[in-house]
Amino acid sequence: MNPGNNSNSLMTVVWILVAFVLLVVGGLIIAEATPLVLPPAASAEAVQVDELFKILMALGGSIWLLVQGAVIYSVIRFRARPGDDSDGAAMHGNSTLEFVWTLIPSITVVILSIISFQVWVNITTAQDNPQVVEARGARFLWSFSYDIPGETQRVNSTVLHTWVGQPVVLHLETADVNHAFWVPSMRIKQDLLAGRSTEARFTPILAGEYPVVCAELCGSGHGDMHASIVVHEDEASFLDWFDDEAYIILNPPDDPAEGGELLMTAGGVAGLYACAGCHTLEALGWDAIVAPNLDGVADRAATRVPGMEVERYLLRSLFFPGEFLVPGYDNLMPQHQYQDPEEANYMPLDEALNIVAYLCTLTASGESACNVDMLPDMMTDMGMG
Amino acid sequence: MATITATPGLGTRSAEGAAIRAADLLRWSLDHKVIGLQYMASSLFFFIVGGTMAMLIRWELLTPALDLMADGTQYNALMTIHGSVMIFLWIIPMMAGFGNYLVPLMLGAKDMAFPWLNAFAFWLIPPAGLLMIAGWLVGPPEAGWTAYPPLSTLFSPDGQTMWAMSLHLLGVSSILGAINFVVTIRNMRPEGMTLWKMPLFVWAVLATAIIQVLATPFLTGGLTLLILDRTAGTSFFDPGSGGDVLLWQNVFWFYSHPAVYIMILPGFGMVSEVLAVHARKPVFGYRAIGLSSMSIALVGFTVWAHHMFTSLQPALRIPFMITSMIIAVPTGIKIFSWLGTIWGGKIRFTAAMLFALGFITLFVFGGIGGIFLAAVPIDIHLHDTYFVVGHFHFVLFGGSVFLIFSGIYHWFPKMTGRRMNERLGQLHFVTTYIGTFFTFVPQHIAGALGLPRRVAMYDPQFTNINTVISLAAFLLGISSLIFMYNILRSLNHGERVGGNPWRALTLEWATTSPPPPWNFRGDPVPFDDPYGYGSDESGAYLDAVDRRFPAPEESAGA
Repeated sequence: MNPGNNSNSLMTVVWILVAFVLLVVGGLIIAEATPLVLPPAASAEAVQVDELFKILMALGGSIWLLVQGAVIYSVIRFRARPGDDSDGAAMHGNSTLEFVWTLIPSITVVILSIISFQVWVNITTAQDNPQVVEARGARFLWSFSYDIPGETQRVNSTVLHTWVGQPVVLHLETADVNHAFWVPSMRIKQDLLAGRSTEARFTPILAGEYPVVCAELCGSGHGDMHASIVVHEDEASFLDWFDDEAYIILNPPDDPAEGGELLMTAGGVAGLYACAGCHTLEALGWDAIVAPNLDGVADRAATRVPGMEVERYLLRSLFFPGEFLVPGYDNLMPQHQYQDPEEANYMPLDEALNIVAYLCTLTASGESACNVDMLPDMMTDMGMG
Repeated sequence: MATITATPGLGTRSAEGAAIRAADLLRWSLDHKVIGLQYMASSLFFFIVGGTMAMLIRWELLTPALDLMADGTQYNALMTIHGSVMIFLWIIPMMAGFGNYLVPLMLGAKDMAFPWLNAFAFWLIPPAGLLMIAGWLVGPPEAGWTAYPPLSTLFSPDGQTMWAMSLHLLGVSSILGAINFVVTIRNMRPEGMTLWKMPLFVWAVLATAIIQVLATPFLTGGLTLLILDRTAGTSFFDPGSGGDVLLWQNVFWFYSHPAVYIMILPGFGMVSEVLAVHARKPVFGYRAIGLSSMSIALVGFTVWAHHMFTSLQPALRIPFMITSMIIAVPTGIKIFSWLGTIWGGKIRFTAAMLFALGFITLFVFGGIGGIFLAAVPIDIHLHDTYFVVGHFHFVLFGGSVFLIFSGIYHWFPKMTGRRMNERLGQLHFVTTYIGTFFTFVPQHIAGALGLPRRVAMYDPQFTNINTVISLAAFLLGISSLIFMYNILRSLNHGERVGGNPWRALTLEWATTSPPPPWNFRGDPVPFDDPYGYGSDESGAYLDAVDRRFPAPEESAGA
């Protein structure tokens, strides 16, 4: 078996055993690095996936050490000495050895397939009483819509709230291109496919806030398309959080500008608007750069089109975004419509009015740049409503 | 077996013994050696183009925010063209270049079976490259090299159409070249060379050509549908009108997974040659290596959907996991056979050998990463992250590109009559190895920790690791410049060699360097065993070759 080695077969067996033990120990040490290369496991599924990951680290580590070891050993032991122009031994193969190194990997991959299959079955089995979440990807924003136990309101948010031990099922749909819903800490990922509805599930086991990342290229703002999942300690603290939300939802502000701000953060009748996916707006914590900055937008809106009022400019921009493109930006914004609640990009006129009222307050002085009372007339004037 | 031989009189060939000049590469030629060098020269050009793009990508990623690029679209275009150029204009045509140059020589043939077709296949590449780069300037495609609809159909600008047309031309080129290889290898072997006495490089090219003939039509077919969707108002991939976005993914990967083997199998063949020659020892398990090439080609057709584990119907994921795992077995056989080849040899540390040995140590890392990605539950986490980016760069850069480097150092003397500079070769190897390791290992870690691929902006927690990756990538950029300098310098100043500087047994060495226009004077007689090193007979054969094709007396003229 070992052409470069003249020692007897007993010594060969001993060396093979020593090498085997070293490789196993080395693989186990490498496997200990698993937690260093993965984010904290925050779901029941993640724990199982990490166990499998660790097995592969040990196995892969051993194979890696074996090959590195064999190459390094050969390079030292079998290097041509200076002046030696001769050839190596005329050895063409060894059927036993070749059989062994075909058989062992074959058995290994069968075992790995079985273990992987078991983990797969475990992490995809449906749990009872899940929290059902409608999740939507739109360039470049995630939004979640879900019911609250024992309440009638539905929450629309860029943040998904849940609690430890509560199984979550997500129904994923996209408004435009393919996206992929990835929660690294939960080890789940599922593509959102145009024209199809897909599903993902996980059960959180660790309280905290976890990033949601888009993992399928979706366009210019892809790298900035993220959201978060907040896992509360238990159902009680989840409901405590909801009480504050519910108060705001149940008591909408009378002031149109305040109402507009709420619409832009918590959504309207058609769910969440995807403004945050592309725009920067410091007051709301938005920092995307695909579309024009909204900070101070009312000041600029006053001067963009000579003779056009701020209110009219902003309103037309909501429904006809291609009409006045800010130089340097492409026409990427969804074209909203107010006619059909069943169709995509629905924005009722009263919500549009409130949003414009809010945008009007985005001035350097902080004073609204508009006469909000004019808006309904202006809409009629434009043939709306 | 030599039933078909190229008919003399095809085209014009330069005077007996005259070396191929740079100007010859710009002309239509039917000589497989000129065509081989044309492929290689154009590929090296696109390697520099794609490499420059890689440097820009790594510069952009030094910080979490956008800095070099004006917006995400610019970055997406850059990485789309980087990937497309590297795959379709660098690695695949480079491998075709080696095949064209070497296969007829290794078979003792005068040329390929269809010389005109051979030239035509090459000359599709320049217009295709032009289309792709022009598309980048017109309105760059921004959907990645995978071009998933609807991003690539409803959103990406006109450059995407040009990109698709470019790939279409390259696909046709690839199919035509492959048909030529299959016919040549089946019919033009010399007397006495059975299939089981072919050099392993020829085995690998045969396996590759079979994949190309069977798989590439799916790429060109899919691209036809994509172009129609974009320009003719069809809706194969538009769910809004009854199309299906998964149709593209299936068709695309049915080609693009086998394409992985199109990119690596010829390299597997080259490394089998290089290891045996420079370790002075027969290839260990010749039949197993040849058969494993064929089984990789076969099983490679059944694994495509492992690229779709996060989009595929869940019930179909497990079957594709199993086939993907199976492919580790023939790959493992190859790696162990190569280890068996160097074990007990007399290893010469030439630059060609260093890259071949470096390839083994890097490729096994890439292969292990592949097992992680084949296991569905783990792939769900790792899919579309930097782990994948690190993985495929390990097998493409640490694999294919290392083997291309190795092959160039090994066969450069045959192609030019001069040896490349070994000291620069060593420097090239050390810098490339360090650069590869520290670029692509940290990418695995960053991906597992949560960094998605194809992003210009990223979470600031990844700043440090991205800095390491970028610095190592810049080292790779420098190492590639060393390599290009070595090639250019050695063309005129390299040490002159005779027909067989490495004392190798395969037939391409049993003629002058570079070979005469019709390759051999008289019919060459292959040594019975292409890897029969270490026997008295092979020693005598090699001495005879050296006497017939000696190194020039004078030292290299400058």
